[in-house]
Amino acid sequence: MGYRLSKDGLNAVLAEFSRHYKLYAPHRFPYQGEHSDTDSIRYAEVKTVDEIELGEKSSHTFKEALIPISETLFFFTEDNIKESDPVHTGAIIFLRSCDLHAVKRLDEIYLNNGADDYYYKRLRNNVKFVLLGCSSPFENCFCVDMGTNIINEYDASLDVRDGQYYVDCKASDWNSLFQNHAEEILDVVPSHVDKTPTRVSLPDTNTIDTVTVIKSSMWDEYDSRCIACGRCNCSCPTCTCFTMQDIFYTDNGRVGERRRVWASCMVDKFTDVAGGGSYRNRYGERMRFKVLHKVVDFKQRFGYQMCVGCGRCDDVCPEYISFSHAVNKLSKLSKEGRKQ
Amino acid sequence: MSLNEYVPFLSKILSVQKHTDIEYTFRMAYEGSVNPGQFFEVSVPKFGEAPISICGYGDGYVELTIRRVGKVTNEIFEHYEGDSLFLRGPYGNGFDLDEYRGKELVVIAGGTGLAPVRGVIDYFASNPDQVKNLKVIAGFKSPSDILFFEDIARWKKTSQVILTVDCGEADFECHIGFVTEHISKLKFADESNAVAIVVGPPAMMRFSTLELLKMGFEEENIWISLERRMCCGIGKCGHCKINDVYVCVDGPVFNYTKAKNLID
Amino acid sequence: MDINTKNLKKNAFRVTKVRGYTASRVRIPGGHLNAEILEKVADIARKYGNGTVHITSRQGFEIPGIPFELIPKINEELQPIIDMLEINQPVRGEGYSASGTRNIVACIGNRVCPYACYDTTAFAKRIEKAVFPHDLHFKIALTGCPNDCAKVRMHDFGIMGMTMPVYDPSRCVSCGACEKYCRRKSVQAIEMVNERPVRNEEKCIGCGECVLNCPTRAWTRGEGADKRYRLTLFGRTGKRNPRLGEDFIKWVDEDSIIKIILNTYDYVAKYIDKDAPGGKEHIGYIVDRTGFEEYKKWALKGVNLPPGAVVYNPLYWKGIKYTEMTL
Repeated sequence: MGYRLSKDGLNAVLAEFSRHYKLYAPHRFPYQGEHSDTDSIRYAEVKTVDEIELGEKSSHTFKEALIPISETLFFFTEDNIKESDPVHTGAIIFLRSCDLHAVKRLDEIYLNNGADDYYYKRLRNNVKFVLLGCSSPFENCFCVDMGTNIINEYDASLDVRDGQYYVDCKASDWNSLFQNHAEEILDVVPSHVDKTPTRVSLPDTNTIDTVTVIKSSMWDEYDSRCIACGRCNCSCPTCTCFTMQDIFYTDNGRVGERRRVWASCMVDKFTDVAGGGSYRNRYGERMRFKVLHKVVDFKQRFGYQMCVGCGRCDDVCPEYISFSHAVNKLSKLSKEGRKQ
Repeated sequence: MSLNEYVPFLSKILSVQKHTDIEYTFRMAYEGSVNPGQFFEVSVPKFGEAPISICGYGDGYVELTIRRVGKVTNEIFEHYEGDSLFLRGPYGNGFDLDEYRGKELVVIAGGTGLAPVRGVIDYFASNPDQVKNLKVIAGFKSPSDILFFEDIARWKKTSQVILTVDCGEADFECHIGFVTEHISKLKFADESNAVAIVVGPPAMMRFSTLELLKMGFEEENIWISLERRMCCGIGKCGHCKINDVYVCVDGPVFNYTKAKNLID
Repeated sequence: MDINTKNLKKNAFRVTKVRGYTASRVRIPGGHLNAEILEKVADIARKYGNGTVHITSRQGFEIPGIPFELIPKINEELQPIIDMLEINQPVRGEGYSASGTRNIVACIGNRVCPYACYDTTAFAKRIEKAVFPHDLHFKIALTGCPNDCAKVRMHDFGIMGMTMPVYDPSRCVSCGACEKYCRRKSVQAIEMVNERPVRNEEKCIGCGECVLNCPTRAWTRGEGADKRYRLTLFGRTGKRNPRLGEDFIKWVDEDSIIKIILNTYDYVAKYIDKDAPGGKEHIGYIVDRTGFEEYKKWALKGVNLPPGAVVYNPLYWKGIKYTEMTL
C-alpha cells in the first residue's frame, strides 16, 4: 500500500516505531567532518524525519547497526564469563537501495559462511528496512552497473517531494499505522536511478585467470599512491572483517573484556601471524586483494558480486584512488589475458 | 537462538612436555572427535586468543604444541602450572587419513610444522599395515630446536625417518641440510601414485613441493597445511582469506591443486 | 612641490626614492580577495602608475610610480576596493587610512587548506573591524594550525588555530593512525593503551592530525563551532632584538583574543615612550620596561577565559640582542 504523509504524519509514525525499535538513519553531525567546519554524515539513532539526512550520501553506512564498530562479546570477571547485552533488540534501518543490497552480503558472511555468528544474528533478528529512494545518482555511484539500483524487498520505502513524504509499505502489520497518519492513499513506487555518471565494466569471474591478474603490474602504482589508511574499508557497506581484542581494565586488572573491532585489509597488521610473519606488505598487493575480494573472489564463492557500487570508497579516499577505475582496469586486463 | 561459537570452554592442562625453552606441548582435557591438522583457538582471558593446531589426540585429551611468540602464548607459559586454558574449536578440516591409506606416504615437515602432522605420522607409524610405507623428513634450524625427539625415535621403528638440521653437527640421529636436499634421496616404488604431506615455513613448502613434482609426484597427491592469522576460526573475520578461500573453514589443509593458485 | 609627508603616510601612500612619485598601498585584511580587486589594482597600475605592482610581505599590493598630484584620483579609484573589502574608513572617498597598526595577515586557512582549524580570513576581518584604524604600531597575524605557515610568532600577536580533539571509543577500530601521525608529524601526544589511543592533554598542541587521519570519525572536532587558539605574544623582527613570540594562552577563544588586543592598545597608550622615533615603539620593548606582570594585569582586564584555557606564566623571550653583542 502507498501513502502520502505530511511531516507531522510521518513523525507520528516514527514516534510509534520508536516505541518498539531503535531507528537508524543517515544523520548530519555538524562540525564532525575530517576537516574543520565540515559536517559528517553517518548513521545515528533518530527520532524524527528532520534528523534524517535525505539529501546527501553518508560517508559511513548502516552497517554499524548490525556490526558495531567496536562490540564487546563478553566480560571477564575473576572466574566468570558474562555475555554482553546487545546494542538493540529491534531496529528499523533507513537506507538506500545499494545499502539494502549490501545486507545480503553481510548475511552471507555472517550467517552462511561457516557457523552462524551469534552476535550478528542477535542484532539482525529483529531488523526492518525502510528503503530511501534515490532520485539522482551521486558522483561516484555505480549501482546500475552492479545491478543494485533497484530492490523490491523492503518493509517500507520513503521518498520526499515538495515537503510531502511518499511511502510504499510492504510490511502488512504497518499498514494501519501509516493509514492513520496519511494524507492520501495512492500507489507509490520508490524512486531509483537508472543511469550513473560513473560506469564500471566487470571482469568475467568464470574465465578470469586469477594468477595472471594477481601477478600483473597493474597493482604496482598503488604501492606508492595508497597510504594504507583503511578509509575505504571503514566506509564500505560490505566489508565484514574484524579483529578480536582482549582487554584488562587498567583500573582493575582482574576484570576485562573480549571484544571485536572492525578490521581493514588495507591497514598494517591485518595478516600478522604470531612470531612475526605477515603477508601483502606492499600496499599494491592490499589494493589487489581488496579489489579481487569485492569483484571476483566473493562471486566465485557465493555466486554474486560483493561490491554494491555505492562508491563510498572513492568518496573518502584522501589520495583520490578510484576503486571503480581499478575495476575497469582489471576488466580490461582480464579480457586481454583471455585473447592471448 | 544459535549456539554462541565465541564462548570458550575451560579445559584442564593434564600434562606439559617441554621440547625447547619456547615450545611446549600441552595435553588438554577434551572429549570429542578431532582430526589431526585441525586447530583450537586457545585463550587466556584478558590476553587474547591464538590459533593452535592439534598435534596429537587420544581418549579424553588433545595435545597442542604452543610456541612462545606473542602476548597470549607468553601468558600461557608464565602462568600455566596446575591450571586450565580456555579453548574453542576444533576448527578447520584437518587431514583426511583415508587419502593416504594403502599408499606410499611421505611427510615432510619443517620446524613447528611437525606439530600439525604429528597426529598423521603417529597414526600410520602405529598402524604400519595401513600404508604401503611411511617416510618422514623432519627439518629444524638447529639441534636445540628439535621437537618430538622421543616420538621421532618411536617412528623410526616402523618407518624411514630422516631428521635433519640446517646447521650443527651430524650424528647417528641427525643429518645436516635443508629438508629439500633429502627429498630426492628418497626411493619410491611408484612416485606417480605416492602421496605427500608438506607442512612448514612458506619457502620450505614451496621448494619441497617443487622437488616432489620434479620427482614425478602428481599435483593431486600432495597436501599442504597453511598457517594464517585465524582470528575467529569460523569464516567471519576475514584475516585468513586468500583468493576465494577462508583458510579457517576450507583449510588449513589443502590439496596442492588448490593451494598452488592461492596467492596472498 | 609642497607635500605633507606625515599626512601622506597616514593616507597609505609612501615617500619613494623617486622624487615626485609615490606608491599606493592597498591592504587586503586576511589576504583573501575577490579576483575583481586584482583587476582594479591592475587598472590603477596601468592608468596612473608605471604598470607594475609589488605583492607586499603583509598581504597587500603596492602600486608604484604614481605622481603625487594624482593622489585624490587614486583615492577615488580605491573606493570600490575598500568597499568590497569592508575596510573601516573614517571618511568615505579619501582612500585607505594607514597608520601604525599593520595589515592583519593570515595564511590561506580552512577555505582551502585541509589542515587549517578555522577560517583565518574571517577571523582576521573580525579583528580588523575591532581595531582599525589605529596609530599604534601593532602587528597581528593568524595561522590555521601549528604548522604556522603565516609565521605568526614573528608578530606582536600570533594567533594559531587549535583543534580540541574529542574521542569516541565506540567508533575506534584500533588502526593506530592517530598515534602514528601524532608521533611522526606532531608531538607524540598519543599513546596506545589497551589497543586504544590515550591523549596526553598537556602535550597536545591541537594540530588535528588525529582527527584528519581517523578513518571512522572516532576522533572529531567535537559537537560545536567552539573554536580555540594558541595566542603568542611579542615576537618581532627589526634591528635591535628580533625574537619569536612566546605562548601566552592556549585553548583561548576568539572573544578573549580580541579583548586582549584591545586592552593592549590601552596599555601601550599609557606606557609608550613619548619620544619614540615616529611615535613608533614595538610593544615588546614597552613590556621589557614595565615587566610582564604589569602587562598581564592590563591584558586580562575584563577577559573571561573559556573553560580549558591555559595561561602560561612566567614568560621569557629570547632572540638575538645586537645591543649586547661583543666581538
